[in-house]
Amino acid sequence: MKRTSNILIVAALATGAFLAACNKGEHNRKPGRIYVPDMYESRAYEFYSARLAGLKPVDGTVKRGELLPYHLKEADTAQANLVKNPLTITADDLKEGERLFNIYCGICHGTALDGNGPLYKGGDGPYSAAPANLIAGAKSGYSEGRLFHVMTYGYNMMGSYASQLDRAQRWKVAAYIKSKQPGAAQPAAAAAPAADSTTAK
Amino acid sequence: MYRRVSILLRKHFVSVLILCASIVIPFSAVKAADPAKGKQIFQQNCASCHNVHKKLTGPALAGVEGRWADKKLLHQWIRNSASVLASGDKYANNLFNEYNKTAMTAFPALTEEEIDDILAYVKVEETKTAGPKTDAGPATAGAKEEGSDNSLLFGIITLILAVVALILMQINSNLNKLAGDKEGQPTPEPIPFYKNKAYIALAILVLFMVGGYFTIQGAIGLGRQKDYMPEQPIFYSHKVHAGINQINCLYCHAGAEKSKHAMIPSENICMNCHKAIKEYTGPELFTAEGKKVDGTAEIAKLYDYVGWDADKGKYTKPGRPIEWTKIHNLPDHVYFNHSQHVVAGKQQCQTCHGNITEMDEVHQFADLSMGWCINCHRTTKVQFADNNYYSIFEKLHQDIKDKKIDSVTVEMVGGTECQKCHY
Repeated sequence: MKRTSNILIVAALATGAFLAACNKGEHNRKPGRIYVPDMYESRAYEFYSARLAGLKPVDGTVKRGELLPYHLKEADTAQANLVKNPLTITADDLKEGERLFNIYCGICHGTALDGNGPLYKGGDGPYSAAPANLIAGAKSGYSEGRLFHVMTYGYNMMGSYASQLDRAQRWKVAAYIKSKQPGAAQPAAAAAPAADSTTAK
Repeated sequence: MYRRVSILLRKHFVSVLILCASIVIPFSAVKAADPAKGKQIFQQNCASCHNVHKKLTGPALAGVEGRWADKKLLHQWIRNSASVLASGDKYANNLFNEYNKTAMTAFPALTEEEIDDILAYVKVEETKTAGPKTDAGPATAGAKEEGSDNSLLFGIITLILAVVALILMQINSNLNKLAGDKEGQPTPEPIPFYKNKAYIALAILVLFMVGGYFTIQGAIGLGRQKDYMPEQPIFYSHKVHAGINQINCLYCHAGAEKSKHAMIPSENICMNCHKAIKEYTGPELFTAEGKKVDGTAEIAKLYDYVGWDADKGKYTKPGRPIEWTKIHNLPDHVYFNHSQHVVAGKQQCQTCHGNITEMDEVHQFADLSMGWCINCHRTTKVQFADNNYYSIFEKLHQDIKDKKIDSVTVEMVGGTECQKCHY
């Protein structure tokens, strides 16, 4: 019987090793190992590298093809009212403005621009301040320049969107909002293209 | 007589009651303010700066009537705050200074009754608790779904059967030996199995295969981080933000359609909403280990990072960066550009990042291996028609015209060339 027990022991050991190898767990808190890491970590300056992450560009830098900087300060609202949109807005721009609005603004101001987005939900959502109604009331009279100013600096509870939308994008959104407000000359832009994760839901 | 009156009264009890009420109400409740109407007016005019329980642009309104000594002054303040400030009222001026000298919008159009309605609404809301709603969602975190993977079970059964077969073989040989002994045929002493060449060869073969399999798997897995789910400095749940609250991916990761990197948002993007959202009231959150997470405490961590004082409603100290742990890492020798895939390729975020809207803690969904990239490039079609960018591919255009091919994949326009990604 000695032979049988020998076999049993070997079988048990094999099973144990097999299980240990398989049981890797569903999610790993550790990233795992890298072979020859010198081709993994960049020697050049990269966006997320510890050396360079979070640095701002030199003051006064203007990206290629970008609109020139906006010089009004946050308190200059009276002047902001008079600023004209430097872009010539086409129907495509309005469509792009709508897409951007639905992504960045619609979450609070609502895709209908009525100040009732999914985060507020008529007071039931997690956001406790009522977002501005952009098509009725005081805010519906804002000029494009003022809308741009608010997007750039924020206003009351709203924060600045300058880090998410570049200047041209902000002007497009301002033009789109203006086109939806009472007294707008342009016809309403067509509906946004098919819903995927790059357009609004 | 008395009976008749009482019968009459009983008969017309309701109408008498209404009569009495109609006489009394105009006197006793001249200002029976209507909270429901007040709610409507409040939401239209006040709610963008005021909340009953929370400090927003303006102060929380609970107990506002108690704070103002004179009701008339409060009404005047609501209609035209500048006039109260000009009159030199001490409480009003202190309030003005406390809130960074942000002047309250004047509402000259509100009537006395309407203001009373608003105040009545505030009073009704006051009594409702300001605490977080306890609508605990289903506690799903603990219950991991049972793996439907049967291969382990089959493996164990195979092993058991193999052991049984071996034992039976042993018994068989022992019995044979016994039978041989009985008949007087001396059987040769059997060679022990560890000296048996067939056994040794078999064992070596099995070891070679099993060992080789694990060695190769391990070698392939080097540098790949599929299912990597690091603990982040703040328990930020993509499920709550992108799933329950339907925030678009690009709202935070705006770089995905502009640059190589999708961009981890700067903290001001968090504060766009979290200036007002100070507590977590959604379904209960759990870490992957099943530990309960206090969402409100996690928001407080954010405030600590950015230096925001939620009580004062101001930034009181310099912010410092949140050191998120990067999950998806491509080695330096691979070029990947988000905007190319999102804008030109029209890929959805979920194709590579998995069902982010269901993940409390994000893990790496795809293995980001070269085979995985190439597979997608081989099967994904490019927008070939009406696209000037691909006008130079004359042969492919001709092939489409000749109906040799019906669509063009990324591979056909050079999507699997080495230099596309390695240079």
